[in-house]
Amino acid sequence: MARFQAQTNAVLDEELSDLRDRLGLRENQKADLLREIGALAAWVIRQAEAGRRIEARIGQDVEILQSPALDRLRHQRDPIFAESLVLTDAEVERLAAAMARGFSPTPDLRQALSRLADPKRRPPRLRWKETSAA
Amino acid sequence: MALRIEVLERKHRALLEDFQNQHPSLVEYLQRFALRHAEKDLLARTFLAIDDRDDQERLAGYFTLATAGVERRSVDALESLQRLPRFPIPAVLLARLAVDGRVQGQGLGRYLLEEALGLTLQLAESGPVAFRLFVTDAIDEAAAKFYERFGFTRLADEFPCRMVLDLKPRTGKASSQFTD
Repeated sequence: MARFQAQTNAVLDEELSDLRDRLGLRENQKADLLREIGALAAWVIRQAEAGRRIEARIGQDVEILQSPALDRLRHQRDPIFAESLVLTDAEVERLAAAMARGFSPTPDLRQALSRLADPKRRPPRLRWKETSAA
Repeated sequence: MALRIEVLERKHRALLEDFQNQHPSLVEYLQRFALRHAEKDLLARTFLAIDDRDDQERLAGYFTLATAGVERRSVDALESLQRLPRFPIPAVLLARLAVDGRVQGQGLGRYLLEEALGLTLQLAESGPVAFRLFVTDAIDEAAAKFYERFGFTRLADEFPCRMVLDLKPRTGKASSQFTD
């Protein structure tokens, strides 16, 4: 483990040193280097969190940024909590029909509202099975 | 004591680990995102159904509520738009509702939906903001049929299927007609 870590650190040091040179920083500017890298990484992560694809274009050539870390970020996104639920025209038609229906509660809804108003309403008594239902 | 409903907090973390459901996404949401959405991101609030019979606390089910705005993708003129309020239409989103597979078929799903509906109607009737729709996304056909029994309308044909319940006839003066 220690050997692996040492090797990893050596590779990392080399890459950081290369980046420092390319960014025009001196050897004693490690903190500045980390700040620069941090700012760049934060921008990339922000774009990925917003669901945007990051790509480099030169003329017709397009290179997409691939990264397991960004893939994890995209998978962590939870689309159901989008601020807006966007409907197609077909869905809008169905919504309009539902809202035009007026006052016609189903028997289950009527019963649910009635139960909610009942001060004696109690939760169900549960029996736990050993295994989940399929 | 029997079953009780509590708002999800850090102290419930251990309870979440044992939750089982046939849909992995419903388990994953509870165990990975629900607390963060509630405490850090302030996106949604999750309510737990805790069963503590036989001196053992177990998580039997949960539901998650969030706010949302319903919008339309197209800007084309539609005759039906004349019957709708202006977009975006404010809504409460029933983002998740799940029952542990080991207690399914005993009325807990219905009880949790009643709780979610009760909280939503309370907010619609006397809360500081107004909204018109109660929206959910049914994960499969069984869930869609369950919500349909309570008056939800399907807006789509595929799953997850967006479903809506118009709250207007059930709030304000109209609500008293149900509670007699």
